[in-house]
Amino acid sequence: MSKRLFGLLLVLPALAVIVLLFIVPLAASVIGAFEVTGAYGLGNFVKAFELYRNDTIFTVLIVSLSTVLIGLFSIAIGGYLTLGENPRAVAILRWLYRWPMFIPFIVVGQILRTFLAKNGLMNNLLINAGVITPLQATAFLDWRGIVIAFVWKQVPFVALLVAGAMASIDRGTIEAARNLGASRLRILIEIVVPQIATTLLVGLILSFVTMMSVLSVPLMVNAQSPTMLTADIAFRINAYGDYGVANALGLISLVITSGVAWIYLRHTMKERA
Amino acid sequence: MKTILQATLALGLVASPAKAAELTVLTAGDQNMVDYINDYLGPLFEKENPGNTVRVVGTGPGDAGSQKITERFKAQADAGSEKWDTDVAVVHEKFAGPMVTAGYLEAYRPKIDTGKMVTRANADMALGSNVSGYVMPMFNSQTAIAYNPAMVPNPPKSYDELVAWAKEHPKQFGYNGIKGGASGVSFVMGWIYAYGEGDAKKLMNGPFDEAETKKWDKAFASLKEFTTNATLTPGNAGTLDMLSRGEIAMGPVWVDMFYSWQADGRLPPELKLVLPAPGMPGQPMHYVIPAKSANEALAEKFVALATSPEVQADGIVKKFNWYPGIDAEFVKPKLDEATWNKLFVDISPEDLAKYGKPFPIAPYNKAILEAYERQTAN
Repeated sequence: MSKRLFGLLLVLPALAVIVLLFIVPLAASVIGAFEVTGAYGLGNFVKAFELYRNDTIFTVLIVSLSTVLIGLFSIAIGGYLTLGENPRAVAILRWLYRWPMFIPFIVVGQILRTFLAKNGLMNNLLINAGVITPLQATAFLDWRGIVIAFVWKQVPFVALLVAGAMASIDRGTIEAARNLGASRLRILIEIVVPQIATTLLVGLILSFVTMMSVLSVPLMVNAQSPTMLTADIAFRINAYGDYGVANALGLISLVITSGVAWIYLRHTMKERA
Repeated sequence: MKTILQATLALGLVASPAKAAELTVLTAGDQNMVDYINDYLGPLFEKENPGNTVRVVGTGPGDAGSQKITERFKAQADAGSEKWDTDVAVVHEKFAGPMVTAGYLEAYRPKIDTGKMVTRANADMALGSNVSGYVMPMFNSQTAIAYNPAMVPNPPKSYDELVAWAKEHPKQFGYNGIKGGASGVSFVMGWIYAYGEGDAKKLMNGPFDEAETKKWDKAFASLKEFTTNATLTPGNAGTLDMLSRGEIAMGPVWVDMFYSWQADGRLPPELKLVLPAPGMPGQPMHYVIPAKSANEALAEKFVALATSPEVQADGIVKKFNWYPGIDAEFVKPKLDEATWNKLFVDISPEDLAKYGKPFPIAPYNKAILEAYERQTAN
């Protein structure tokens, strides 16, 4: 047996798994998006556009806003872990910040549903602390709830990556800047962040894609309309048994995520080259 | 889930002796449906039919659960399986018709004794499809408006009064739209019955007429205006949650859920129900037996037991606060007066007869949901 054939044989099981369990279902879903009662056409997309245009825009806005906030918070956490001067505060932060990473999205939804409600824990605390009066209390169970859930859950993940990257940069540059009298904020923005930008970007892209696929949070936290595409896909299948439009919506979110995936691929290619 | 796994495992172990059959029951609906069969109906059946066991599989709440059962039947029919892996299924009304049309079901009702005790029209016509003989209602459930008498001293008797009240009390009425459970869907259907300019009877009985779907524009425009003044709640349970926390004063709920929550102490005891004119829809859950069940005779016995007056009284009415699936006349003698009256405290039998409506037939149902998405939610 030639060496080449043998190599092919070795890779075959893995390849078969990928083709059968990943490529085939994906292709079926993409083809299904164009199927309209037996024939092929764009009917599903027309309906998806007509009914879920606002939801698509909403989804992109919510996920983008969350991504930006995740970036800011994880830089803040990573920055404090690297540049913080109070060892006890750094230790506490290091111990605390990772917790949400191990909590599934559905539990996040369930926690926030009671926390953010009008008479929920958050408002009760604020009222007892005298920050707001009972009449001013409003529920955060709308788009704000989704953003809070996403940020709360994804910040630790990105912060972990960012903090790791920050810890491995050359301390010399930081010390030099500090000797020259730069403030910590300035060091963070001008020296540290540019050096870990790639890691940050990768973390944010992975978060973006994860958030695009979350169903439990919009279902549990956001009762309002517009809602996220995942909730619409579930609704299309559950209420109408309509896989066509559901597939079309799936393809639309796939197009959105492939936008960021493209940035990711370009970066990894550049790194390898 | 864990109990299901354990139960399945345990049943698998004890079910091995020869001749003993294992009856597989699929049920759509919330966890309470699985619990009902696991904790109550299954053990009862096993006691009456020694050696046989009941295995129950929950397929999930709402239409999604019934959709999964339909897809399972379709897969086995398409594959040409001789014996299917399901003996009895509990499905939502909307799915009974398509299952009959596709030839998935056995016409078993004439074969069992309790078949004659079913008198409600929805056992013969399920949302416009003739299902006579193929289904036995497990129970009937109804939606109504729950309200807090402290905040609503004079509950609205009709949709008109409700609209007027909601205008005076912004954000005090809450419902869950159409994506978070059927109590919101039911409220929207009731809205179209009340304000759609077509014939509500036609929506409930058919036949489907495309022209009818064009008559709802005004109703949806007014619903949109109404909704901006209302609070949207996250789901059937979400409405009850918000009612119990006092965040809203009124909202559509399922009657059985309302009473069960109240019995568990999850809802304040002073909350009450009202069924406004011209009415809101309710629906039955149906027992069906697939045409190619492996244990046909046993499956029929199971449904006969489940729809017997004793089980309907003790299991359906007393334990779950559902309205019975068979004629109430057969169930009433088996119940103490207090339990019977509890079901009709706020909503009298007359109210129920006058204002308890079926859901629209499937094509109208779909058209109304889509029109809502297009005109009210967008």
